[in-house]
Amino acid sequence: MSGGIARGRLAEERKSWRKNHPHGFVAKPETLPDGSVNLMVWHCTIPGKAGTDWEGGFFPLTLHFSEDYPSKPPKCKFPQGFFHPNVYPSGTVCLSILNEDNGWRPAITVKQILVGIQDLLDQPNPADPAQTEGYHLFIQDAAEYKRRVRQQAKQYPALL
Amino acid sequence: MADLTEVDDLEPLFDYRRVQPHNLVFLDDDDTPPIPCPKRTKVLNPAVGKKVGVDIKELEVVDCEEEEEEEEEEDWLPPPPKVMVQKQLVEDSAIKELRLKKQELVSFAKSADDVIRAVEESVKRKLDSSMPAALEAESEKVSKPAVERAKIVVSIQDKGGLKQFRVYADDKFERLFEMYADKVNLDQENLVFCFDGDKIGPEATPASLEMEDNDIIEVHTKKT
Repeated sequence: MSGGIARGRLAEERKSWRKNHPHGFVAKPETLPDGSVNLMVWHCTIPGKAGTDWEGGFFPLTLHFSEDYPSKPPKCKFPQGFFHPNVYPSGTVCLSILNEDNGWRPAITVKQILVGIQDLLDQPNPADPAQTEGYHLFIQDAAEYKRRVRQQAKQYPALL
Repeated sequence: MADLTEVDDLEPLFDYRRVQPHNLVFLDDDDTPPIPCPKRTKVLNPAVGKKVGVDIKELEVVDCEEEEEEEEEEDWLPPPPKVMVQKQLVEDSAIKELRLKKQELVSFAKSADDVIRAVEESVKRKLDSSMPAALEAESEKVSKPAVERAKIVVSIQDKGGLKQFRVYADDKFERLFEMYADKVNLDQENLVFCFDGDKIGPEATPASLEMEDNDIIEVHTKKT
């Protein structure tokens, strides 16, 4: 049962996350209406880095793990229409370490994924655009890009 | 005569008997090894004498000592072993049954002991937790070594790093929050404590949140 492998690994990830994770991040498996826990989908929060235009934003991210995890990476999704050069219109994050054929390794932890995505927020990769709006502003209109990023950070305030 | 010679010829076929000693070896670890040896030699000797002769004798040198010693027994050994072995088998199975039963009984006794201990412990815990608050302070000091109220290590993480606190798993968080606020010299009202992204209410306990040792609580400072 490959599903057993995925779930076993995710249970371990969950355990270690509870004991050690960077401040401001949240990552927990979704709880179904009947109270049971679905380890295959995690609801996460990625804080924008302090000192960047992303600061103050707490961006919701959902990790969708397949039965083939950790052979294959999870699909990581921001809300639809998220403004960032490397996020598809669907919200899916485009990042080398999340690419099965590129940088993904089974040893990469949930923590590394989330920290990697946090880095990506303020360090977009113009070589690999995933949406036109974010990419064009980033390349052509730095001021407007900055304004949009700050606006989006305000859109996702801390939940507390 | 032909029959007799055939019988003689069959003797080499006694090789099949070699199979028996092997079985015997498997069935009885202790007693049989001496038995199969004489059998092999016995079987081989006639064959050797009649057919192959010298070559095998040379090969058999190693067994010679045993042959000499046990040749006397050869005559009347062949029938007995089978009977003996069967008896031993019967005895063994009976003994095994008895041993198994004994083990069962022993394990029953053990599990019964465990149950009694578990009951005793749970009763103790219940007594402790139901003690009135006034007594608690005393009982903490007095009974700490004797009776254990479950403790848990909780890490409180702020932007600067981790601080660890050892608290009772059934203790309300408000006490821990006070301790922490004192320690960092901040007004508790400006602090928000979260576990798994959810705010922790003052009435909650580590147990009620199903926390484990070293689980992290995050502190966020309210912006004023």
